Amino acid sequence: MSFARAQSYQFDADPMEGERSPLAQARARLMVGVLLFLGAFVLMAIRTIDLGLSSPAVERTATREIVVPPVTFARSDIVDRNGELLAVNLQTSSLYANPRKIKDAKGLAQKLSVVLPDLSHAELEQKLSSNRSFVWIKRKLTPRQKWQVNAIGEPALSFQDEEDRLYPHGRLAAHALGYVDVDGKGLAGVEHYFDDRLSEAGRTAKPLALSLDIRVQYALADELEAAMRAHQAVGAAGLVMDVNTGEVIAMVSMPDYDPNNVRGVGDEEKFNRVTKGVYELGSTFKTFTFANALDDGIATFDDGYDATKPLRISRFTINDDHPKKRYLTLPEIFAFSSNIGTAQLALDIGGERQQEFLQSLGLLTPASLELTEVGAPMYPSTWRKVSTMTISYGHGIAVSPVQLATGISSIVNGGQLNSPTLLKSNDHWQNTRQVISPATSRQMRQLLRLAVTKGTGGRSDARGYRVGGKTGTAEKAVGGGYDRKALISSFMGVYPMDDPQYAVFALLDEPKGTKETFGFASGGWVAAPVVKNVILRTAPLLGVLPKEEDEGLYQRVALMIEDD
Amino acid sequence: MRRLFTVIAAFCALMAGAALMQLKLAVQDQADKVAALADQIHNDEESLRILEAEWAYLTSPHALQEQSIEFLALMPPTPKQVLGSASDIPLRRSGEVVDGEHSVLLPTSQPQEKDADEKKKDEKQKEKAL
Repeated sequence: MSFARAQSYQFDADPMEGERSPLAQARARLMVGVLLFLGAFVLMAIRTIDLGLSSPAVERTATREIVVPPVTFARSDIVDRNGELLAVNLQTSSLYANPRKIKDAKGLAQKLSVVLPDLSHAELEQKLSSNRSFVWIKRKLTPRQKWQVNAIGEPALSFQDEEDRLYPHGRLAAHALGYVDVDGKGLAGVEHYFDDRLSEAGRTAKPLALSLDIRVQYALADELEAAMRAHQAVGAAGLVMDVNTGEVIAMVSMPDYDPNNVRGVGDEEKFNRVTKGVYELGSTFKTFTFANALDDGIATFDDGYDATKPLRISRFTINDDHPKKRYLTLPEIFAFSSNIGTAQLALDIGGERQQEFLQSLGLLTPASLELTEVGAPMYPSTWRKVSTMTISYGHGIAVSPVQLATGISSIVNGGQLNSPTLLKSNDHWQNTRQVISPATSRQMRQLLRLAVTKGTGGRSDARGYRVGGKTGTAEKAVGGGYDRKALISSFMGVYPMDDPQYAVFALLDEPKGTKETFGFASGGWVAAPVVKNVILRTAPLLGVLPKEEDEGLYQRVALMIEDD
Repeated sequence: MRRLFTVIAAFCALMAGAALMQLKLAVQDQADKVAALADQIHNDEESLRILEAEWAYLTSPHALQEQSIEFLALMPPTPKQVLGSASDIPLRRSGEVVDGEHSVLLPTSQPQEKDADEKKKDEKQKEKAL
């Protein structure tokens, strides 16, 4: 219709000779507008159909991200191998007041001292009635205290949010964990060693998993504390280690401290006897001498040495603590812990080779544990003949308990030396080194088991768990000589001996004999029972099954030990 | 006709506008709820940390031991009580049939328990010897 009209306009316009009428011009312009609108509507129609058919737009609204502001804290948590919380940063509130706003300072002080009984009432009242506009009342309140303070309803009191490092288990595992200062900086233990990792921005959400098992830690601490009290020892140390991985399952040093409150804690409490303390550990060292001799083929089980009378070397005399005064076979020397026999065996090995062997077990260098409190071993700079003899039974060389446990672990686990670690790890296989042959390791297991069933370690025999181990008793070195009364009594146990899993070490510093031990304070009397109790308590936790012993494993060697 | 069309179109436009407004308000409402929920989750996570710390404190082995001593008559398990597999559990002894009477069974004599007693004696002696 419009076309016809346009035609007619055209027709009408024709006589005007090219001059377009204004009306026609307006029509044409309108046409442009109409076309534009038409195009727009077509586009909208297409888009509508498109929206109706396509689904992505629907999904986009559904997956709109919900941002939850993350809980941030300045320092990572520390957990044990089972994820149990050992150290945690929590928001706490510190209480401050504006004394100028307070009307009844006396009454408020009264109310506050009920909520916070550890603050002195007089001091509180003086603070609140002062003329300042800001006084700290108490830093780091517990949630309950905060609630109670709020319940007072005094507008002059306010809180300041702060972060506080908390150790829920208190003094348990204090030496492994360490502690932090007021600013949250690690000062000891793994808190110090991993300070950068723990406070690294962006990694604080991921907890640091230690190899410790808090349940085993408690069993060890509990037993050691009881033994320490019973024998009036000045200190104690204990260690449980996974012999196949080198992971430290428990580490106890007594006396200990509460890392939640280190104010006024002395150096004696902070001292880590397991890693920093080095001790002459006595007969436990015979294990290394025997492993060395058997591995080098210097002696076999059928050999023996004469132990009828004390050995004299320069100005020293080597005596036996449990003298048999006869010829002893190798298994007998080990089971009865004969110094005379072991010293002669060491002479056959030779000083140089002995030093080399101890070096290969890491006994002459500081332990490579993830702690800064690691003690360097002490041994003579010139390895004389007499040193060779005394070191063979653990005198004249001082090592830390963690070094000893590492060495013993490698002796029983088939000869693989794992460096000790405090971290829960799965890639420990990379750092192993073969130090003795698996065959020697098997023989050493027999000897260690027999030292318990027939020898000096009898009081460590947790029936069913096939414990093997070696006692150690050494006199403390005091001012160039030895103090006969002050002993370091220890026991190094491993179980189960047919498939070694865990090494348990207990050490008592200056224990006194009691009626129950008939006055004896040696390792077999005071430390072995601790190991026994720890094994009985923790073996079910660690998944070691008790079973009837296969005596056949030890029969051949057992026959070589003559009781008398 | 044309005028009707215009009125309908205007009405539709108004309705669409109102609906859009309504939708927008609803969405805003939901968004506020989501933000509040996210905030709530954040707060809960924070208090969860505190509760976890408190849980660790309350279930510390020492605390558990104290509670156990106070409220339970349980002792630490002895190796004998720990069984490795179901086959280690002995079968129940069936009673003895007397005079062909199956409804009443008499207890069997228990020679095995005597053995256990003797074993205990042996063990005691061994322990004394140690």
